[in-house]
Amino acid sequence: MLGFSTKSDKARAEFEGLVAPWLDSLYGGALRLTRNERDAEDLVQDTVMRAYRFFDKFERGTNFRAWLFKILTNTFINGYRRQVKERSLGDESERQSVEAQFFSSDTTDQAQNPEDYLLQRVMSEDVLKAIDTLPIDFRMVVILADLQEFSYKEIADILDVPVGTVMSRLFRGRRQLEAVLRKREEVADAPLVDLNAYRERKKLG
Amino acid sequence: MNCRDAEPLMMPYLDGELVEADRLEVEKHLAECSPCAKQTEVSRHNRTLVRTLAKAATPPMPEALRAKVFTKVRSDQAGQRQGRFLRLSAAAAGVALCAFVGHHQWRSFQRKLYVDDAASRHARQFPLEVRVPQPEALEAWFDGKLGHRVAVPRFPNAVAEGARVLNVREKQAAYIRYDAPTRASAQPRQVGLFVFGDNGNDIDVGARGEAELGNSNGYNVVTWREGDIVYQLVTDLEEDDIRELMPADPGHRPPPPVPVGRPALDVQPASFQR
Repeated sequence: MLGFSTKSDKARAEFEGLVAPWLDSLYGGALRLTRNERDAEDLVQDTVMRAYRFFDKFERGTNFRAWLFKILTNTFINGYRRQVKERSLGDESERQSVEAQFFSSDTTDQAQNPEDYLLQRVMSEDVLKAIDTLPIDFRMVVILADLQEFSYKEIADILDVPVGTVMSRLFRGRRQLEAVLRKREEVADAPLVDLNAYRERKKLG
Repeated sequence: MNCRDAEPLMMPYLDGELVEADRLEVEKHLAECSPCAKQTEVSRHNRTLVRTLAKAATPPMPEALRAKVFTKVRSDQAGQRQGRFLRLSAAAAGVALCAFVGHHQWRSFQRKLYVDDAASRHARQFPLEVRVPQPEALEAWFDGKLGHRVAVPRFPNAVAEGARVLNVREKQAAYIRYDAPTRASAQPRQVGLFVFGDNGNDIDVGARGEAELGNSNGYNVVTWREGDIVYQLVTDLEEDDIRELMPADPGHRPPPPVPVGRPALDVQPASFQR
């Protein structure tokens, strides 16, 4: 009776074959979770290592990518998130009913002009930066839904939350994202220095 | 369906997550309500834009990292083969316990952090909050103080000195200090045991019933897991004495001991500091 079943070369080859196609998306997800390259690299390495150790527990034929991302998010939540002292939305918002969350009067959720199109000149980097400003619980759902294109059911399994929670977090996360991007557009639209206003103030002063 | 009913269904609608009946209801509402239809088109546009831009800006994994990831997996495989050369099995708290003793590298940096932290906290000799020898009394004292139940392991010959609440890294743990006899001297040595919840599998000591022996700062640290609970035993006892403390299960005679590298004594063991 040995505690460790030594993994065969065959199992390792199988594992590597299954992981290889998802390394880019693991790294992309890790970048948005940790928000820096160094931690993202560590997180991916920890995730792959942990997935390898628990590979015996992976049920063949089930969703391997979702399984990998479950390990990724768990590893992040348990290790990296504490390091960066990131504040979770916590229980308070979870206690509200799903519906109450949808119609929350939280100002950050209410885009000022919700009917506005985001303009094409929003830059790719702006979108990433905007995602990075989201609170972690929203960010995780937005990353999984919009960057990784997981279904609600898969996201619910990955994060161990009900589908309704996934829906409400995605709703609020996207709204907040749009609001951040819209603000960036406004800043970009404003002239750098309004000379006339400056002169007016000088006159008054 | 009115606008209020439709709003929470909008994102699931755009994500293709609605069942047929709901989808039809939403589409019926959108056909009748132009503000909602407008809003939906804006959301669809923004959703597509965000997805496209975010994906375009996400770099692929660096090649160097790709190579490193699989190198680590391969060395871990080698480590597992090397690591099972010595085993001690024991019954502690009624649960069979196997320990692999090795001088091989710790398989995971993360786990090593917990080992180091447990050793350094044990070394610092924090004052005990309760001093009673009976495991039952200690269990009663811990009741309700931590987020998990604390089963205080019974070690033959070792006597509990007392206990306190003490963290291992960010995990709040029960810390129980024992005096254990040694072969070499009449003076008992101290053993510190940390018991903490780890349902996130931060410390992957594998399946239950296995234990890992490593060392940190001159202490031997035995780590094992029973379900969601991780046990870390920190001591300056020699490995033979640890085997005495957690005697072999009669059904499983341990294989002959293999020479194991002596832990480097960077730090004066706690028992010498008294």
